[in-house]
Amino acid sequence: MLDFYELTVHTLTLRQLGSAEQLAEINALPVADVEAALEKAVADGAVMAARGNFMITPAGREFLDGVYPRAFAGIRSDDAVTAAMDDFETGVNKQVLALTTDWQTVEVDGARVSNDHADADYDAKIIEKLGRVQEKTQKILAPLIEADPLVERFLDRIGAALTRAEGGETDYVSGVRVDSAHTVWFQMHEHILRLTGRERPE
Amino acid sequence: MSTATSFRWLVVPDETAAEPSRDLVGGKAWSLWRMQSLGLKVPPAFVVTTDACAAYFADGGLPDGLADELVTGIRLLESRLGRTFGGSERPLLVSVRSGAAISMPGMMDTILDLGCNDEVEAALAAESGDPDFAAEVRRRFTGFYGRLVLGCTEDLEDLPDTASVRAAISADVDDTVPADPWEQLRAAVASVFQSSRSRRALAYRKHYGIPDDLGTAVTVQAMVFGNLDDDSGTGVLFTRNPVDGTREPYGEYLQRGQGEDVVSGRVTPKPLSDLEERWPTVHGELLEAAERLDREGRDAQDIEFTVQSGELFLLQSRPAKRTARAAVRIAVELVDEGVLDPAEALTRVTADQIRSLLRPEIAAGAADNAEVLVAGVAASPGVATGVVVDTPEAAQANPGCILVRKSTSPDDVHGMIAAAAVVTEQGGATSHAAVVSRALDTPCVVGCGADTVESLVGRTVTVDATTGRVYAGELPTSAVDESEDEDLRRLTEWAESATPLRVGTDVAVEPVFDADTLPAEDLGEQLPAIPAGTKTLRGAVFCAPDGVRAALDAGVDAIVTNHRLPVLLAAIAHQRRTS
Repeated sequence: MLDFYELTVHTLTLRQLGSAEQLAEINALPVADVEAALEKAVADGAVMAARGNFMITPAGREFLDGVYPRAFAGIRSDDAVTAAMDDFETGVNKQVLALTTDWQTVEVDGARVSNDHADADYDAKIIEKLGRVQEKTQKILAPLIEADPLVERFLDRIGAALTRAEGGETDYVSGVRVDSAHTVWFQMHEHILRLTGRERPE
Repeated sequence: MSTATSFRWLVVPDETAAEPSRDLVGGKAWSLWRMQSLGLKVPPAFVVTTDACAAYFADGGLPDGLADELVTGIRLLESRLGRTFGGSERPLLVSVRSGAAISMPGMMDTILDLGCNDEVEAALAAESGDPDFAAEVRRRFTGFYGRLVLGCTEDLEDLPDTASVRAAISADVDDTVPADPWEQLRAAVASVFQSSRSRRALAYRKHYGIPDDLGTAVTVQAMVFGNLDDDSGTGVLFTRNPVDGTREPYGEYLQRGQGEDVVSGRVTPKPLSDLEERWPTVHGELLEAAERLDREGRDAQDIEFTVQSGELFLLQSRPAKRTARAAVRIAVELVDEGVLDPAEALTRVTADQIRSLLRPEIAAGAADNAEVLVAGVAASPGVATGVVVDTPEAAQANPGCILVRKSTSPDDVHGMIAAAAVVTEQGGATSHAAVVSRALDTPCVVGCGADTVESLVGRTVTVDATTGRVYAGELPTSAVDESEDEDLRRLTEWAESATPLRVGTDVAVEPVFDADTLPAEDLGEQLPAIPAGTKTLRGAVFCAPDGVRAALDAGVDAIVTNHRLPVLLAAIAHQRRTS
C-alpha cells in the first residue's frame, strides 16, 4: 500500500493539476494530510506549486516508478486481479467509451452530429446504460476493490456524477471541467493501470 | 367501449372521456390520449393507475381486484383487434411500460412482446408464415422479461436464440420466464411498481427532493404487426427534413417489416414514396396525421407508425433529432408559421449548435494541392493551424499549438485544453482523445498510425478534423459569419434583444480582463478567476457556455468576440435557469 505521502504524489497522476481539496476528494485523505504531503513533495522537487494548484514533476514520476513495484507487489501477483483487469479492458471500459460517444453524438440520417440534448428519452437511456455498466463494473473489479478501497470510491463518485446528470446537469456525463462520469472513470482507469503495472491499451 | 369510470385500478383511453390527469396515468399514456383525441389511430391500450401503485406498496402485493381488472382490460384489447392473449390462433401480444408523472432513472422502461410462450410462438409463425420472425419475437421478449422482471444483469441482447437467453437467465438468477401469459402480465406490472423504488430511483429522488411516495402508472398496449402480409409494413416519418430543416415530410417504409427490422439493419427500408405507390390512401392518412402532430407538438416530429393489413397505427410521436443546421432552419420557420414567438424560438437552438455551424472550414480548393502528411479518423470536427508539439507541458507553454500524442490519458488533459487541435497515432472514435476533445469542442483526428508523432513534431500543420486529414503548412480557411446567413442573422437580432449582456467586437468598457494573456499555468481544468469589478471579458474560454455562465455570475457587462450568437444563446439559457 501507499503511505499518505506516496498516495498524494500518485493522485497528481490521476488529476494533473489540482488543489489540496481536489486531491483529497480523489484520494480520501484528510486535507491536512494532503497539504503536509504536498509541502514535503514540493521541498523534495517531486511536485511543483502554482498559485494553490499542484503538478507532478519528472522527478515525482521517477519516485513513483520506484514506489509502485514494492507497494503493489501483492496486487500484481494476484491472478484474480489479472483476470479482473482483462475483463475490465475488453468489456466495461469499451462500453463506457462507446456510451460516452453516443452521449456526445447522435446519428441523424446516417451522419453523426453533436447531441443537442433535445431528446430527453435518448439521453435518459444512455445514462441508464451507464448506470448498469457502473453496477456491473462493481462486480468485475471485486478483486481490486478488496485490495484497494479507493477503487470503490471511484465507482461511488461515478454514481454521484450520473445522479447529477439524471437531474439535468448534463455536464456530468462527459464534461472536462467537472468530476463527470467520464472524468472520474478515466481517473479510475489510470489508477488501476498504475496499481497493476499495466500499459493503457488503445 | 367502456368508460374510464367503471374500473377501480384501470383507466381506458376513450375519445369521448375527458383527459385523465397526468399524475394518475403518467406521461406516456397521456400522450397516447393526446394522439387519440386528435382522431389519430393508436393501438388500443389501458393504464394501470398510480393509485394501484400506491395500493401495491400499502398491501405488499397487487391490490384486490387488480388481477380481475387486468383480465377485463386485456379482453377489451382482444375485442378491438380480433386477437386472443395467449391464443393458439391470431395471438395478442402487448407492451408493458412504466409511466410516472416525472420519469426517473432505474425505473423499468418497456417490455415488448409480452404474452409469448410455445403455443403463441407457433401461432405467430403460422400467421406470419415466418418462423424466424416468431422466434425473434420470443427471443426478444425472453430477454426483456429476464432483465426487467427477473433482474438478470447479464447482457442478453447479443445472444442468438431463446434457449441461450433462458440459459443465461437461469445461470444468473436461478429463475425462469413463466409460460402462462397472465402470470407474465401480473409479474410485469408488479415489477414496474417495484422499480419505482429501485436503489437508483430512490437516490435520484433524495438528491432532487422529490417525494418518495410518487409511484408509477403502467401502460399496457397491444402490439401491432407490420409483417402480417403484403398490405402491412412499418416506418418512420420526420415532419421536416432532419438534415437541413426543410419543411417537407421525409421518411422510410418497409413493407412486411416489424419495427425492429428497421433498427436492426437486417433489411434496407425504402423511401416513403414506396408507401405512396402501394397505398396512396394510407400515405395520405399518414401525412395528414403528421401535419396535425407537427402543429400540435409545435415542433418537428419523429413519428413511428405501423400499417397492419392496410390499417395505419401511430406508435409514437416525439420531437425529432436534427442537425444544427436543421435546428436553426426549423426554429426560424416556426416563427414564420406563427407557431412560436422569437423568444421561444431561441430556446430551440443551443449555443453548441451555433458554434458547430460557425466553425471555420478550409477554403474552397485550398486543400487540392496541399500535401497530406497523415490521415486518420475525424473524431471532433473543426479546423486548426499551428506548430506541432508532443507533450502536454509544451502545449501549455505554447497555447494554440497542435498536440500530437501516441494516445492520450488524464495526464494530458491540461495540454489538450491549451492546444488548438489534438492528433493521435492510436485509437478510434471512442478513444480518450476523441471523447475529451468533443467535450472541449477541440478539433481532433485519431488513429493516424505509427510514427505520426515523430513525423509531425516541430512542423506547422493544418488539421482538418472534419475530413480527418493533416496537411503540411498553413492552409487558408473560410470563416463563417452570422451576418452571411439569413436565419442566423434573424436569430442574432432576436437574441440581442433578449439579454442585457453586450456581445461583439466593439463592446469593451474598462476594466477589461483578457484570458488570452494569462500565463499558461493559469489555464488548467478550471476557468480562470474573474477579478472583482471586471466589466468586459475577452478570450475564447469565456465564449464557451461554462465561461458565459461564470461571466454572468461575476456581473460582467460585455464579452468581446467575433461570433456573437453562441455567446448570446448561452447567456439567455443561463438567465432562464437562474430567474
